[in-house]
Amino acid sequence: MRHDFIDRYSRLNSRIHNLPASLKAGIAVGLVFITVIIPIYTVIYFSSLLIFLIVIAALSLIPAKFIIRRMLFLEPFILSVSILTLFQTNGIISFLNVVIRSTLCLFTMLLLSNTTPFDELIQLLRRLKIPALFLTVLSLMYRYIFVMIDEVERMQRARTSRTFTGNKSHIWKTRTVLISQLFIRSTERAERIYSAMRGRGWR
Amino acid sequence: MAMTPVIEVKNLYFKFHDGTEALRGLTFKVDEGECVGIIGPNGAGKSTLLLHLNGLLPEEGRTPFSVSIEGKQITEESLTDIHRIVGLLFQDSDDQLFCPTVFEDVAFGPRQSGVTDEEIKKIVSEALEKVALGGYEKRSPHHLSGGEKQRVCLAGILACNPKVLVLDEPTKDLDPRGRRELKILLRSIPATKVLASHDLELVADLCSRTIVLDGGRIVADGPTIDLLSDEKLMLEHGLEKPHSLQHHHPHS
Amino acid sequence: MHIPDGFLDTKTAIATAVLSAAAVATALQHLKRNVTRKQIPMMGLAAAFIFAAQMLNFPVAGGTSGHLMGAVLCSVLLGPSASIIVMSTVLIVQCFLFADGGITTLGANIFNMAVAGTLTGYTVYRIVQRIIGSVRGKFAAIAFASWCSTVAASILCAGELAWSGTANWSATFVAMTNIHMLIGLGEGIITTLVIAGIWKTRPELLDRQFVGTKRFYEFISYGTIFTIGLILFAAPFISTLPDGLERVASSAGFDVRALKEPILNTPLAGYRMNGIITPELATIIAGMTGMVVVFILSYTLAKVVAPKSK
Repeated sequence: MRHDFIDRYSRLNSRIHNLPASLKAGIAVGLVFITVIIPIYTVIYFSSLLIFLIVIAALSLIPAKFIIRRMLFLEPFILSVSILTLFQTNGIISFLNVVIRSTLCLFTMLLLSNTTPFDELIQLLRRLKIPALFLTVLSLMYRYIFVMIDEVERMQRARTSRTFTGNKSHIWKTRTVLISQLFIRSTERAERIYSAMRGRGWR
Repeated sequence: MAMTPVIEVKNLYFKFHDGTEALRGLTFKVDEGECVGIIGPNGAGKSTLLLHLNGLLPEEGRTPFSVSIEGKQITEESLTDIHRIVGLLFQDSDDQLFCPTVFEDVAFGPRQSGVTDEEIKKIVSEALEKVALGGYEKRSPHHLSGGEKQRVCLAGILACNPKVLVLDEPTKDLDPRGRRELKILLRSIPATKVLASHDLELVADLCSRTIVLDGGRIVADGPTIDLLSDEKLMLEHGLEKPHSLQHHHPHS
Repeated sequence: MHIPDGFLDTKTAIATAVLSAAAVATALQHLKRNVTRKQIPMMGLAAAFIFAAQMLNFPVAGGTSGHLMGAVLCSVLLGPSASIIVMSTVLIVQCFLFADGGITTLGANIFNMAVAGTLTGYTVYRIVQRIIGSVRGKFAAIAFASWCSTVAASILCAGELAWSGTANWSATFVAMTNIHMLIGLGEGIITTLVIAGIWKTRPELLDRQFVGTKRFYEFISYGTIFTIGLILFAAPFISTLPDGLERVASSAGFDVRALKEPILNTPLAGYRMNGIITPELATIIAGMTGMVVVFILSYTLAKVVAPKSK
């Protein structure tokens, strides 16, 4: 299943995974804040942070290959925005400044998301008094992302097996039709989900 | 001593928004403890009928006493009670498993009744044990197999302790093992059961009584073996005699 | 356009977070009053839908591909308040599950795409749709509004980066706006075709809106939030205008200071464009021209999609 990469490791049984979500989230977010603010010449901070993150990664039992692949996948986004910093005086320093900070934050957040099941984050948000309506939408969304991606995959496979041209406009046409169909199916599913929720007492 | 039938359907009519008549005057009763199969060709109205049994349909304009559960008619006010008595298992378990974890989903029903957190934990683990999914509390639905998902849905319903279990095509997405396990599971649940299915072998196995639906009307209502062995009846309504009955002689 | 951590400074991060929170809170308030229980699962699924739709590749040229952002798609199908909530949840999930967009920049990303994208797009859509009317007008409005939402989001993004001192305004504004004026074309085409597809199969789905008539109160609160954001982050944009014109004027020999007021009325026609116009001014001019061009293209697309005006 192509959506495996989303949630594959968030439920492993490691010392890190077993820590409470609030602790992990608090530390991660705190570290990101500090990393963003702290002056660039505090090399001690950046190197200790890097070591800390590597240790956490090791303890988390998440395969290193996975972490590295995710970072490589996301790094280009950081780099492409960072290029804009080159257009000023001291461009190179600004560039490195931003790339180092951003990459460390990325590493931190990757570790957080892969050691904490999303539903625990939702529970945390509930304790933080985020409105129920918002959390219901968020929770339903998370639950149905996988269903949605599976459906997209199935629909694409059905189309690809009847596609004999690599023509770009054909791809645009079929993909927009796919999205329209996906929306219609979503409305139908939403009605069934609503029935199911009512049938179990939701008022 | 005449007992009130658990389900009583009287002259049930239903039309869709676009005018298609889905149900044309259905009348039947189900007694406590019975297991009734509902069979018929596609479009016969099976799913539509099932949705009427716990009041999800009609959305408006209910005819009084068209459907009564334990003698009580279904009205807007009685809906909450009806939902506690009648548990409906949908065709697609993805539609019914809408919470991020198994625990939350099974707890959904009991939570609506204002039960304490301690109680809920107990109810959930008992329900999961009943469907042989003990320990699955923290699992995410999208990592489960079709059969497991369905059993979680069943656990969610059982957690509400319904007297009636209504099932819509329960074996549709199951592999042979899942099917076997579901059969054993359903046999072990003492509730009154109404089961709509294309899986005629399942109906033959579980249901002592069967109703044949076609074009929104009841065309037959009687002992399962008799109906399913009647080849003419089966073929006339888009069905066929299940293999296990090919050499079976109906006894009266 | 998801800004990663480390690109915005504290004041920008906080300002955008506050504005986003205010907008989301307003949307929630509005929905609480107007949305029925039945529509809530739809919102959750719409969010999952947008998420999945954003994953699809639309090949452009030479290996690059575009993606749908979906703010206008969402607001046309669900109404602006629901769209703000739906798009926000998408961004939140992308941030936490994918590290796509940083946590300190979540406020900015939500403001740019969920809030500004929705509000700009929806406002443009309603205005254009009212001017042209008819089914064709609806589709032209959708296409044009989608383009506008993309460009608006990118301008705000550039403004935020500049305000943070991460990059200078000139380079960022020019680069981002020009690129997104092109990306916006894709957004326009995709959104229009998707809605056309829905219209052909289930047109009644296009009538359902979570927001009935836009209430005055909501309009004021959204308007205020949006305007504050616009002033803060697009302010450099406003200041560029006189700069560019001043440069033109001084190279033509006018005394800049003495003629500060009338300079704004000095016609530019007749002066050679090369070397006098700054990159920012060129972008602005391109943008204005672009708007007209895109509008014409939108109407053409609408004619293709809805050949007979019903």
